[in-house]
Amino acid sequence: METFELRTVQRQGELAVLEVAGYINNEGGEAIASEARALLDGGCRTLLLDLHATRIINSIGISLLLEVLERTLEVKGTLAFCCLTPSIAKTFQIMGLGQYARLFPDRASALAELAQVR
Amino acid sequence: MAEPMRQRLVLPRVARAELIAGDAVEELGRRVGVPRDTLAEVKLAVVEACLNALEYGGGEVEVELVAHRDEAPWLEVAVVDHGPGFNPEDQPRPVLAAKLHALRKRGWGLELIRRLMDEVEITSRPGLTRIRMIRRTGGQ
Repeated sequence: METFELRTVQRQGELAVLEVAGYINNEGGEAIASEARALLDGGCRTLLLDLHATRIINSIGISLLLEVLERTLEVKGTLAFCCLTPSIAKTFQIMGLGQYARLFPDRASALAELAQVR
Repeated sequence: MAEPMRQRLVLPRVARAELIAGDAVEELGRRVGVPRDTLAEVKLAVVEACLNALEYGGGEVEVELVAHRDEAPWLEVAVVDHGPGFNPEDQPRPVLAAKLHALRKRGWGLELIRRLMDEVEITSRPGLTRIRMIRRTGGQ
């Protein structure tokens, strides 16, 4: 079974990078939503979720990521994801998530691009 | 032609029970040579079908897995529950723009199943719901 872990590994100005590992279900999604809420309330406006160690997100996890997206858009911020597995990329494509969130192949390209946003 | 490999599971009512089925289909598919990325998509579809069955169904949730060892291996999965049943035609297709502003952001499971698998057949009546899914190698 995939153990869930979440760490905020970088906080620079209005940008925060969250590393997510394991299964994003209701519990994982709640943890991400809670951390994201705290970061946004604390002044962050760009959240990058690095999913390199996440292999599966279920539909409940997805709904909680949408809460994060909604809250981020409310504060006119940017939600971004990087290092998606092909199946997670396909899940996001089915949802049309790319219309509202930024998707990057790796963290370096995400940070380079997002640094210009702010 | 080689006989297909079969496995039948009854999911326990425990946290993350859906992953038991997901892991089983991943293992069976790997043994017959289904590519890893295809397996990851099938795993998610199976997880979603099991989540629905565990949440809305009743009684035992059964999962039947068949891995066909043809030249291009393929997978067949059925998830069965004994709940009140539902009409799949009544389930609205989720639209992200609407979900973003809605209180209820769930409702993606059936859409993901339909989009990740090559064939999906749902039969449902009170007491018996069966979602049968097929994914061919390299499909979609």
